[in-house]
Amino acid sequence: MSTSYDDVLAVVIQQIRSTVNEDWIEDFEIGPETRFNDDLELESIEFVKIADAIQNHFGNQLGIISWLSGKSIHELIGLSVGDLTGFITSALATPEA
Amino acid sequence: MARILFSVPPLTGHLNPALAVAEELEKRGHQIAWAVHAKQIRDKLPPRAWVYPLDAEDVDGPSIADPQVRGLESVRLFFEDYTLPIALRMLTPLEAISRSFCPDVMVVDHQLPGAALVARKLGVPWTTLVTTTASILKMSPTVDEWVAQQYMSLQCSYLPKELRVERPDFSPHQVVVFSNETLLGNAHPRVDAPYHFVGPTKGNGRRVVDFPWDWLRSDSRKLLISLGTVSRDRDTRFFEVMMAALAEMPEIQAVMVAPESLAERAPLNVLVRSYVPQLELLDQMDGVICHAGHNTVCEALSRGLPLIVAPIRDDQPVIARQVIDAGAGLSMRHGKVTPAMARSTIEKLFSTPELAANAKRLAQSMLAAPGAVGAANLIAAQASPSVRPVH
Repeated sequence: MSTSYDDVLAVVIQQIRSTVNEDWIEDFEIGPETRFNDDLELESIEFVKIADAIQNHFGNQLGIISWLSGKSIHELIGLSVGDLTGFITSALATPEA
Repeated sequence: MARILFSVPPLTGHLNPALAVAEELEKRGHQIAWAVHAKQIRDKLPPRAWVYPLDAEDVDGPSIADPQVRGLESVRLFFEDYTLPIALRMLTPLEAISRSFCPDVMVVDHQLPGAALVARKLGVPWTTLVTTTASILKMSPTVDEWVAQQYMSLQCSYLPKELRVERPDFSPHQVVVFSNETLLGNAHPRVDAPYHFVGPTKGNGRRVVDFPWDWLRSDSRKLLISLGTVSRDRDTRFFEVMMAALAEMPEIQAVMVAPESLAERAPLNVLVRSYVPQLELLDQMDGVICHAGHNTVCEALSRGLPLIVAPIRDDQPVIARQVIDAGAGLSMRHGKVTPAMARSTIEKLFSTPELAANAKRLAQSMLAAPGAVGAANLIAAQASPSVRPVH
């Protein structure tokens, strides 16, 4: 059974909110266009925590960090919630090796 | 007596440590000259300083292109729109200056690679000054590779092939770092270079700044709030949040380095000044809220002051992480913090004795470091490798 993009998006947003866990994020609108660097002010260590939380949720290793390490500096700067969601959706659709 | 040519970018955080080292060398009788963007920083140099302007041909001189960006994007733009264009423009004038002054040693800030390339090309002995330890760390393969590419493209336009290296910004002779290894920690590997950790300078060589000292009460807890000179005028939201939080905390007095237009809206316990005598002021403080600029962090920790760090750009997230990992501070998200969160973070700063205890532990190692004197010793030794006969 595959998980839809929208289902994954809801999980990603939920994990961002619970990992950051500060007052402003409760009301902060998060969507596919939201960027981790500029809009959320997340530092890399927080991003790793969110990636771990998402991987725990889905119960398998999605390879989020190795996916990131293949990105250019320009891609890292512009990295959005939608980019991450798209990667996870396709990783979940690919049978584990 | 040696002839020593200093070259640093026109940024306060880079200039101040160099001023202290230059003053120490001058005291020992060495001849100092400055190759700098004089339009922007001539007024911060000693009045009788020997100055070679690098910006004689420029209309405005360099400026940080977009002060609004944050995080990794600011690192990219700092290279692409600031460091590299400055380097390219200064190569020809600085080479001429250096041939004219004939320095025994060049002292070059690590973020002025144009000067490093001139020293490399002319074969002048040189020392690198590192004003933020974020620059000596390998942060991620993607970023490291990108930095190396930026430096390689710069070198290709100026240096013969055999002189090009991966990190031309670091002198192969000696690299002076104004921090210590306790704060630096081991979270990231370092770029390989001949480091000398001298700790922060003690502020010599800076100009005198007026301050209304009698505003400070003896019975209050005192905070210095500063986002540094680059981000001071970026936007006022952060400062407004601080004022709103502090309005509810009359037992605290805060000196806030911010646009003076905010003064009329400040509560009675917040003093707004656009420029302060930071070191003298830190001697009176109990804590600091800042952007995690390298100098401000080291100056606060030298006094055993715990910090709240709200990093914005450049190296600041890395330095903020060092403070947190050392147990000497709390973090605040610069663009997101609310008055309620600011208030609870300030309360926690003063109610967590471990923070001040860890800051005091770091102060001991900072104060034991030789600072500007140690840096001057290294540079003087480079200028006269063997003791020269006295005539």
